[in-house]
Amino acid sequence: MYKYIIKRLLLLIPIMLAVSFIVFFITDLAPGDVVDIISGTEMSVEDKEKLREEMGLNDPFVIRYFRYMSGLVRGDLGISLVTKKDVFQVYISRLPATLKLATAGTVVALSIAIPLGITAAVHQNSWRDSGSMVLGLLGLSIPTFWLGLLMIIIFSLKLGWFPSIGNEGLISVVLPAITVGSGQAALTMRTTRSSMLEVIRQDYLRTARAKGVSEKVVIRKHALKNALIPILTVAGNQFGIAMGGAVMTETVFAWPGIGRLIIDSINNRDTQMVTGAIILTTMLSSVVILLIDIAYAFVDPRIKARYTK
Amino acid sequence: MDKTNVVTKSSVAASRKYKKNSQLYEIWRNFRKNKGAVLGLTVLSIIIITSIIANFVIDYETQIIRQVVPERLQRPSWKHPFGTDQYGRDILLRILYGSRYSLSVGIVAVMVSLAIGGVMGVIAGYMGGIIENIIMRSCDVFASIPALLLAICITTAFGANTLILMISVGVASVPAFARVARAAVMTVRDNEYIEAARAAGATRMRIMFTHILPNCMAPIMVQTTMRVGSAIITASSLSFLGLGVPPPAPEWGSMLSEGRSFIRDYSYMTMFPGLAIVITVLAINLIGDGLRDAMDPKLKR
Amino acid sequence: MKDNDLIINIENLIVHYETEEGTVRAVNGIDLKMKKKRSIGLVGETGAGKTTTALAMLRLIPDPPGVIKNGVIVLNGENILDKSVKEMENIRGKDISMIFQDPMTALNPVFTVGEQIAESIMLHEDVSKKEAYERAKELLEMVGISGNRANEYPHQFSGGMRQRAIIAIALACQPKVLIADEPTTALDVTIQAQVLELINDLMEKHETALLMITHDLGVVAEVCDEVAVMYAGRIVEKGSLEDVFNRTKHPYTEGLFNSLPNIKDRKAKLKPIPGLMPDPTNLPIGCAFSPRCPYANDICREQKPVPRWISSTHMVECSAYDDPSFHIARREK
Repeated sequence: MYKYIIKRLLLLIPIMLAVSFIVFFITDLAPGDVVDIISGTEMSVEDKEKLREEMGLNDPFVIRYFRYMSGLVRGDLGISLVTKKDVFQVYISRLPATLKLATAGTVVALSIAIPLGITAAVHQNSWRDSGSMVLGLLGLSIPTFWLGLLMIIIFSLKLGWFPSIGNEGLISVVLPAITVGSGQAALTMRTTRSSMLEVIRQDYLRTARAKGVSEKVVIRKHALKNALIPILTVAGNQFGIAMGGAVMTETVFAWPGIGRLIIDSINNRDTQMVTGAIILTTMLSSVVILLIDIAYAFVDPRIKARYTK
Repeated sequence: MDKTNVVTKSSVAASRKYKKNSQLYEIWRNFRKNKGAVLGLTVLSIIIITSIIANFVIDYETQIIRQVVPERLQRPSWKHPFGTDQYGRDILLRILYGSRYSLSVGIVAVMVSLAIGGVMGVIAGYMGGIIENIIMRSCDVFASIPALLLAICITTAFGANTLILMISVGVASVPAFARVARAAVMTVRDNEYIEAARAAGATRMRIMFTHILPNCMAPIMVQTTMRVGSAIITASSLSFLGLGVPPPAPEWGSMLSEGRSFIRDYSYMTMFPGLAIVITVLAINLIGDGLRDAMDPKLKR
Repeated sequence: MKDNDLIINIENLIVHYETEEGTVRAVNGIDLKMKKKRSIGLVGETGAGKTTTALAMLRLIPDPPGVIKNGVIVLNGENILDKSVKEMENIRGKDISMIFQDPMTALNPVFTVGEQIAESIMLHEDVSKKEAYERAKELLEMVGISGNRANEYPHQFSGGMRQRAIIAIALACQPKVLIADEPTTALDVTIQAQVLELINDLMEKHETALLMITHDLGVVAEVCDEVAVMYAGRIVEKGSLEDVFNRTKHPYTEGLFNSLPNIKDRKAKLKPIPGLMPDPTNLPIGCAFSPRCPYANDICREQKPVPRWISSTHMVECSAYDDPSFHIARREK
């Protein structure tokens, strides 16, 4: 088992390298560079060019990439072009807010999606099923940022129940969490439903019923544990996406997390920060998805058996 | 002698045509039974027709982007059913005209990813071995970058305009198409008619694109439809962030971004463009769901 | 046979599946009595309504579309069709339990075998989790599997071992009635005999009444005291093993025997029953077997046959016996 985990972690390294390469490559194509921004307009073209040479900006792409990556290993991603702060430090300082939002959002999503998905599957083709399916489809069709704006209009401006922006106290996380969560809930619910439908006709549920297990326990224990893997996969992916994809929600609610950091940095033309933040976020979400993958083994003994072989 | 030959030939052709038609007809018949899907198709048709008519009826310079200061920030009324924005522009007209951006970005973006991802997936699924490995691993890499972040990355690098928006939204769903196409090909790959074509000496390319591809259209088509919906959402998100269709064009996402500054007192400005997105995407998703059920009744059960 | 040996009494049971395409008449009024330590073989082709009858006894018919339209199933003097859901849960596994056909799919893949046996014990008896698990191990030993394999998962067991584990689950609470639905169909021939022997032994030991559902007359001969032959939702012939095997009366039963290979006369041709089972949504007006019956006359085709008792133990449902001189080709032994 541990061997498997270590193997998977090692396999993550080439993916991380490739991802950072792609991101670094794309952002490298952005017009303008550090020198343009830090020097302002006063510096002459020759001086700028000299500065570039000194900073190694004229080196070939591959060399700059390796320099960047060796920095990354040491936790050094350069300094922000605008605030002159250490990119890695700033990123770490913003991480808790995003983690908090992503976790709260996932909790909201799972607590909506799993009961609804199960109900839909158990009462297939009934009004409960079609109701859940319509809700799910609606959830897939609403842009997160608009849902966030609606929440602000209704619960913050009209009713005054929650603050509309910022991260202060537990109450401020409610609206953003619902916003992040309901988008995730839609996909998770559809997955729960189809996964449960797959399981619900299995013979082993009849065996359980014949033992005298109550219907509630048959569904919640015997069926759900078998249906859990696809649900976990989707929920995990969504959590991973929420880590970086909470960009929209964070923007709407002025939530001081990584999404905001990325958007603000783009608006400030802070390429160093954007590159660093995107690479770190992608790595983080890959790790989360890997952890979910490993968690499968604890849900399904058949997968564990395959790993330990 | 000649006559009978002609008869046989034409009847063979006719029966082949009939068979093809009946397959499509079967899908259509199943699709038609699904009320939601029919509703979606109706709504989407209306939206498309509106956007075409808007092209001829509405004048961009005078009705969409010209500022009319005396009429600024008017609440919905008979004259302006959806009200006006901070420059006095009629929001209803802007929404009607703006449908073209969402539709075209959504459709072109998905065509981009379908073209790239579909071909990659078909090749991977059919060739197998090292080629499959390379293609699918690079898809894994791309897929591990959250779609929105990848799109943001691309638009920052190349600047915010409609074409870049289309490409950046499209690139993000390439891995998904590659996976669906590969899976679809793998299920038909070992069927006997492929074996037969190979035995008859058809080239690999020919087998791939004339025999395999048409037989795994169903999952690809469903994926395409559903992806158009999510592409519209991603595109409007980028525009909302100021990384998509630049103002003053009445893209729904950028209209929402403008409305956001007036959310406290003029919330109608954030209501209507959002509703437009939801209705469009919902219609497309209903069609996608309906198509999926119609093409594979097994899935519905 | 004392009357207080009677454990299950089914009377006029009717079960329909009401689907969009029409009403499937799966069970059309059957009577069946089960007694302590006695085993009944319920024989018939696939689709005759055997499994539906069994599921009705556990009230586990999938609903919708299944509906128990009529009848009583009396267990210990009480009609289980009147029981509440909760009461029914207490009956399942404790009073009546069932062994299912396919051991490969009947065990939950994500729980250990021991957990699945222990669950049954914990549901019906007031024991701790640990005690239940210890009992589960003992039960495994009883069916011939080492107790320390209780913490293994079903995928680590072979087909025969899984079926033994399922038997252990079914017998965990010493039920009064055991229903075995084709318990050996999915197993290798060598394992089949072992499993049948196991069921027989355990039945003796626990004084259980057994309902053996099968299409295999060989299994019936090996295990059962009584036989009921089912066709299109009716019991068409019923009696002791000797009654049905040696004094066969119903043309359908005869057909079943004729379609078996005869070891003593291997040159003899197999005589399969011509045709197929009637569509259960559209049963014939008269005897359901009449379209395939070589002896059928006009009365057979127009009137439903009524049960006819040949002796105190032997019943046949065939209108042809209205004619006192009628007899089927199969000779009495």
